[in-house]
Amino acid sequence: MTIRFGLVGAIALATTSLLTLGPAMAQDEVTITIWSLDDANQPALNLAREFDEQEPGIKVEYREIQFDDVVSEAMRAFATGQAPDIIAVDNPEHALFAARGAFLDITDKIANSDVIDPANYFPGPLNSVTWDGKLYGVPKATNTIALYYNKDLYAKAGITEPPKTWDELVEVSRKLNDPANNVYGLAFSAKANEEGTFQFLPWAQMGGGGYDNINAPGAVKALEIWKTILDEKLASPDTLTRGQWDSTGTFNSGNAAQVISGPWELNRMLEEAKFDWGVALLPTETEGGTRSSAMGDFNWAIFASTQHPDEAFKALEYFASQDDRLFPEFGQLPARSDVALPETGVALKDAALKVFLEQLQYAQARGPHPEWPKISKAIQDAIQQALTGQASPQAALDQAAATIDGILGQ
Amino acid sequence: MNRLLSSLRDGKGFDIVLVTVPLLFLIALSGLPLIYNVVMSFQEVDMFSLGTFARPWVGFKNYIAVFSAPETWPIMRNTAVFVVCSIAGQFLLGFGLALFFTQKFPGASYIRGLFLASWVMPGLVVGAIWNWILAGDFGVLNYVLKSIGIISENIFWRSDTNWSLWAVIIANIWLGTAFNMILLAVGLAGIPRDLYEAAELDGANGWQRFWTITLPMMRATIGAVISLGLIFTLQQFDLFAAITSGGPANSSNVAQYWAWEQSFRQYDFAKGSTISVVMIAVVMIASVIYVRSTRHEVRG
Repeated sequence: MTIRFGLVGAIALATTSLLTLGPAMAQDEVTITIWSLDDANQPALNLAREFDEQEPGIKVEYREIQFDDVVSEAMRAFATGQAPDIIAVDNPEHALFAARGAFLDITDKIANSDVIDPANYFPGPLNSVTWDGKLYGVPKATNTIALYYNKDLYAKAGITEPPKTWDELVEVSRKLNDPANNVYGLAFSAKANEEGTFQFLPWAQMGGGGYDNINAPGAVKALEIWKTILDEKLASPDTLTRGQWDSTGTFNSGNAAQVISGPWELNRMLEEAKFDWGVALLPTETEGGTRSSAMGDFNWAIFASTQHPDEAFKALEYFASQDDRLFPEFGQLPARSDVALPETGVALKDAALKVFLEQLQYAQARGPHPEWPKISKAIQDAIQQALTGQASPQAALDQAAATIDGILGQ
Repeated sequence: MNRLLSSLRDGKGFDIVLVTVPLLFLIALSGLPLIYNVVMSFQEVDMFSLGTFARPWVGFKNYIAVFSAPETWPIMRNTAVFVVCSIAGQFLLGFGLALFFTQKFPGASYIRGLFLASWVMPGLVVGAIWNWILAGDFGVLNYVLKSIGIISENIFWRSDTNWSLWAVIIANIWLGTAFNMILLAVGLAGIPRDLYEAAELDGANGWQRFWTITLPMMRATIGAVISLGLIFTLQQFDLFAAITSGGPANSSNVAQYWAWEQSFRQYDFAKGSTISVVMIAVVMIASVIYVRSTRHEVRG
């Protein structure tokens, strides 16, 4: 006990002495707190530091939080009145907070801003910060998924170009599938977490469905295609329990000829993959059919409880003004169409990037809906039930649609 | 004042202090959260009302919702299978090892100590290691089973609905065997040697000695080991998180993992607490059995 009180006392002393020794300005200094999952190699921490240094009147306190803890920590903090001023939150969870009034409506601030112009953002990310026609945040970065393919294995199987339709994807995967050499035709993730939804929803959307119409005929067909791929073992049965990162690992090691994943894999793939590879847009239901893709990554938001909304918004403006550094310095894609990405000089990476940027045009936000975790769970359950043969794709998606309708109150 | 002090040092006051301290500790760290959990199961709770007590009271709505969910009974069945098979496996292997190591052979006690390595390891680490062993395409277990000709095709332990629960049970048996072994070995060491000598003089063979001396003398220990096993098994969360995440399609989901999923994945804290209240009831019964079985020991 004494030790603890001693410590507290020492800290208190140190703080007071710091305060008195510090510049007189310290009295007017405003402190804003920023929570994000970025570490020293990622943008938020670095940008927060720079903002702190260049704004004499604003002191920035930065806290790094783990991916899994973002929502629960933020909820707890908001519920007990200790929320930070600014938080970076995963885009499907944005509406959860916005709809409950936990995030500050910054529509007017953005309208008056010289730095942030909604017209510059991709529609998907912008949609994810929008609730009820108002803007509750600014997209921090974005990502999407596309089809990586092993060009060496393509050549060996006599395939000249990547599949354009779902049927072609199955066809090509059959040709590439080579159990004798431990090569699967395709790798992807149907895991029962947000990753499964992230991977399946684009397919449902390409088939004319969506989270609010998950049993559309095209979505059912998409799940039937997935089931065919798993039933014929064109993809590892572990697809059901493996995330995207591990699935892509099997592609990098040459045990899968194609993989559906995102640009976050690029650096690792350059290092690990000992073969020639390329990236193609996700195959569509029919040739030239509707395109869609998943949209990932985080958004910035200001908590409604902040005491310093203007300073917090100023920080967001600074972050947005540095969006052109996201890719060259941190390997992340800005959520904006007006930021040109410089060539990296690595041919594979630059070619891949072009495809991802094109795919981003079609990326759609998950939701936005305040009950997204429950909606997502219904979709995951349907995927898993269909792929494990507990229900037909039609029945599983009908059940999911009924659950989701209940959540949406229809 | 003096009398109070001396009573505190050595007397009734001292006894009261001894009782109060752990009691306060228990109330603060176990009792209050437990009551809070029960209260939450009768309320409508979401993340924005987490910080307040004044939440809408919904009576048994959460319980009705839990028990009418289609996944409830499969999950309860999984929980029962997981608990029974894990305990049976841990206990039988642990007892076998304990009996084996009571034989006097060189290095017996050292090797027995080494077995504890599994119990010392964090569940997440154990889970990660078993993940590699049980991996479908390149797993060690599949390789071994194939090499000795038991299976001809890879078993996808984690992704096959027929096997996923067993994948976790196997890992859990490995994790808990050492703990069972140590507790049972202590029990075995407590049986007076002369009982065996007398029985031997009377002409009892090893089998008879085991059934008529070892087992009856171990009654209290076995009761305690199995009750503790039940509690530890119902607490087992890390292995599920690390190996199957309860999937695929809930085929390896159990009540404790489900409760966590409801609370921290769906943010439905009320439903999460409802499931844990049901589990508390089960653990309570186990605790009563445990307390009763150890009472014998104290008097004995």
